[in-house]
Amino acid sequence: MTVVLGALAVLPLLAAALSPLPGRWIAPAASVTAGLACFGLSLALVPAAAHGPVTLGFLRADAISVVFILGTAFLYTTATVYSVGYLRGEHQGAGSARYLRLFWGGLNLFAWSMLCAPLMDGLALLWIAVEITTVVSALMVALDGTRSSAEAAWKYVLIASAGLGIALLATIVMYHAGASVLGPSYDLAFAPLLQAGSALPHPAVQLAFVLAVVGFGTKVGLFPVHTWLPDAHSEAPTPVSAMLSGSLLAVSFYAVLRYYQIAAATLGSGFPRAALLVFGMLSLLLAALYLVEQRDLKRLLAYSSVEHMGILAIGVSFGAPIAFAGVLLHVLAHAAAKGNAFFGAGALVRAYRTKEVGRIRGGFDRLPWTAPLFLLAILALSAMPPFGLFRSEFLIVAGGLSSARFVPAAAMVALVTLAFLGLSMATTRMLFAPSQDAPGAASAPRREPSAWMVAPMVVGIVALLVLGLHPPDALTELIARGAAELGGAL
Amino acid sequence: MTFPIPAVQVLQVLTVLVAAPGINGVIARIEARLQGRRGPRVLQPYFDIAKLFRKEALAPTGSSWVFLAAPLIAMTCYLTVPLLIPVLTTFPLPFGYMGDILGGGFILALASFVIAIAAASTGSPYAQLGASRAKTFAAITEPVVLFVVFSVALVTGTDLPYALAKTVRASADQIVRPAHLLAAAALFMVILYETGRIPVETHTGTNEFGMIEEARSFEHSGPYLALLRWGATMKQLILFVILINVFVAPWGLASDATVLAVALAIAALVGKCTVLGAGIAVIDDSFAKLRLFKITEFVSAAFMLSVLSVFTLFLGGG
Amino acid sequence: MGSLAGGVAAPPSSYAGVTTALAVLMLVVEFGMLQATLLRAQIRLYVAQSAVISVLAIVVAFARDVPELYGLAAFSVLLKVIAVPLVMMRLLRRTDQEIAGSRALGVASMVLLAVGVAAFGFFTSARFHLGSPVLPAAALAVAVAIILVSFVLMIVRRDVASQAIGFFALENGVSLASLVVAAGLPLILEVAFLFDLLVAVVVFGVLIRVHHGQSESLSTDALTELRG
Repeated sequence: MTVVLGALAVLPLLAAALSPLPGRWIAPAASVTAGLACFGLSLALVPAAAHGPVTLGFLRADAISVVFILGTAFLYTTATVYSVGYLRGEHQGAGSARYLRLFWGGLNLFAWSMLCAPLMDGLALLWIAVEITTVVSALMVALDGTRSSAEAAWKYVLIASAGLGIALLATIVMYHAGASVLGPSYDLAFAPLLQAGSALPHPAVQLAFVLAVVGFGTKVGLFPVHTWLPDAHSEAPTPVSAMLSGSLLAVSFYAVLRYYQIAAATLGSGFPRAALLVFGMLSLLLAALYLVEQRDLKRLLAYSSVEHMGILAIGVSFGAPIAFAGVLLHVLAHAAAKGNAFFGAGALVRAYRTKEVGRIRGGFDRLPWTAPLFLLAILALSAMPPFGLFRSEFLIVAGGLSSARFVPAAAMVALVTLAFLGLSMATTRMLFAPSQDAPGAASAPRREPSAWMVAPMVVGIVALLVLGLHPPDALTELIARGAAELGGAL
Repeated sequence: MTFPIPAVQVLQVLTVLVAAPGINGVIARIEARLQGRRGPRVLQPYFDIAKLFRKEALAPTGSSWVFLAAPLIAMTCYLTVPLLIPVLTTFPLPFGYMGDILGGGFILALASFVIAIAAASTGSPYAQLGASRAKTFAAITEPVVLFVVFSVALVTGTDLPYALAKTVRASADQIVRPAHLLAAAALFMVILYETGRIPVETHTGTNEFGMIEEARSFEHSGPYLALLRWGATMKQLILFVILINVFVAPWGLASDATVLAVALAIAALVGKCTVLGAGIAVIDDSFAKLRLFKITEFVSAAFMLSVLSVFTLFLGGG
Repeated sequence: MGSLAGGVAAPPSSYAGVTTALAVLMLVVEFGMLQATLLRAQIRLYVAQSAVISVLAIVVAFARDVPELYGLAAFSVLLKVIAVPLVMMRLLRRTDQEIAGSRALGVASMVLLAVGVAAFGFFTSARFHLGSPVLPAAALAVAVAIILVSFVLMIVRRDVASQAIGFFALENGVSLASLVVAAGLPLILEVAFLFDLLVAVVVFGVLIRVHHGQSESLSTDALTELRG
């Protein structure tokens, strides 16, 4: 099993190394292969991690990290497949060879950094991996070379780097806390820190936790440090947007979870939960309000990401095992659903040549495959049954009720409903309103841009259905173990 | 053989009175040498003052008695302050407890205030310009001095200059205390401003638009101007003494009233002031004058240093 | 006479005094960056700040016998005193821009704001009582102040180069904090942090060039397209 860890950390890197080679098919083929292989490997990790951590040197995969690896690998696969179609339409010219090289190399590196982050054993290495995700993804956001993508990339790299500066401070303070128990020469690995748990000095851990929530929270997109998020998501190439939203935010949230584990072991769960509840609720509120009045399709989905990250934070704050299980399932389901939504949005943007919701009309007439799949993705994002997010949000709310957090649970349901309203209004207008309503919409072509762009969405919907109707037993076991680890039971 | 204590007190004042123009001459000389000129004699300021005393005194029509009284009041102030600070001795002299650093600061501020009033009463545009500018920036430098005093008070528990000098002498650790270094740096910047040195203004220039200190005595003449000039050099020496004998290097002072010790103390004082003056001459030669609006940045930097000094003390790390 | 000697705050040991003074010097340099008008001057101040922290690392290594810190000091000189400034200088030469962007606030209000922010950092970090055998706790407070002031720098400056330098200064503040509370951190991790900084510099550089290519200036005034 340990070989799997090594392979996961190497394969995307190999694909990235192959990407600059000349030859039209090498880079896409290498990337798709690496994606599929990573997804297969992470599936293979599921049963093993459900029974205890798998380690190899400084790589370590326990139940929690495997959930995040699974989500990232899934999105990596679908995004590479989607990219094949995405790049075809846009970049036929001779000048685009450089763009293709950078795109494929960057995409693989990005996936590599996000797969590595949950694999790292230790807070310091985790920080380094997350910082690498930032720099790679910032370059990917700037890739299109337009004025607005340069602006988005700059805002992103500046705000996220500053946030990670704070996260580094959190890492150092946590080291200080650990050093008082474990001696000065240790490398911030998880297991010893968790074991030291209650012996760690309280003020230092408290400080480290708050700094980590603010610092890594910047990359999660928690209010009030979410400001880079809609810009970066709307300006990045669509496959990158999907990975930003579905994986990157989740991976950053993974870092917050690790700090939560240690803080809960040291301080008891009261303080960390209260902090996460405040951040989560504010993010959810902000996102719900912005969703109602959003005119840009990709920004719409970006705010939906803020909403779901808020839900994750609230879910952790509920603290019941069932809520933890919901949170972990939510990570997976959100990756699939948000990936699908961005893929669909990318196809719509490609067909109508605009990101403005007001100028996209009559989607069902023009895009016979994408439009229904996009609609299903939006419904899934709004936690409609029978999709995975329904199950996960149901578990979170149930967890809130079982730990007697009635007001936050009710508020969460209300805000999610408001968010649903915003999402569905925009979607129905885009898909069902007649195309004569909007200038330019009538001239859009009446066909799918590419089969490569449809296939990943079909896979995504299947995954969402599986998660919603009947998750495989191995996965249920994994999530149960992860929830137990988060709850401090293991 | 020992001096009676009151005689030492008188000597403190006399030293400042007599040595002050000389220090100015030394600085001008070093400055000229650094620029490759021969420069004026070191004694030139004495000759200038002597010449001015022989000239006729004129007052602008319409100016009030303040105009003529101001140089005298200012001179009196400058003669009073040396009583309060350790010019020559490590031990406080009879009037040494009469006022603390704040008291000395008030007296210096009074001098600068009457000069500003006198300048304003002339109706001359340049004099008024200098007066108003001086008061504008003083609004920032005075808090700096206050914060410096606070940091002194936090260190010693009093704000008597003698007490701080004693603390500094007591251990070398005191010198490297960040609070102390910051306060001394802030004070040094204030001194640069107060004595009208680069980067605030050109000391000997004739560019009226850039003037602050120098412009205020524009309308005075004869003995009155001589008093103002002399007073300005005394103020400079007094500030030097505070920086050197209280903050930076309170060594070489007389610890008793024997003639030898006092003579050595006078020599040491002149030597230390010469070194400080040389440093200021180097600054004069190596920096450009700031634009008027940039002076705010200069004095606010001093303000920041002094505030940081108090902060570090509060944290217990200073 | 005797009554005068009854001091309130006993002077710290010379080691504590020197190290805190160095830390405070870093903070003063940080304020200098806030005021500097030329980009070149800002970079020089950054060099000075990095040099001070390297010296501080050497002082700590010598006085407290932590040999790893010599290595850290060497790396930080190589990267922060030499490599990063060289990259930034080259970048500036290419863009032909000398003057840093305008400030959103006047000098006086900016200094007051920064002093207030620094005071906040001072006193909040003092509340947590994170003692350390290596450096006085005041140095940690200064580090927090540096971090907060570099946020002010990033916020009030309206050009991309100054904002990038603000981030590097932020990293210096974090390094100072790590000297205080985590001097024993394994060297390999410290070096990894530093190389991470280098990667960040390269990315900042690339994005600054992209920005300059788009808008022919380093000013961020044009960055207002994305809203809502």
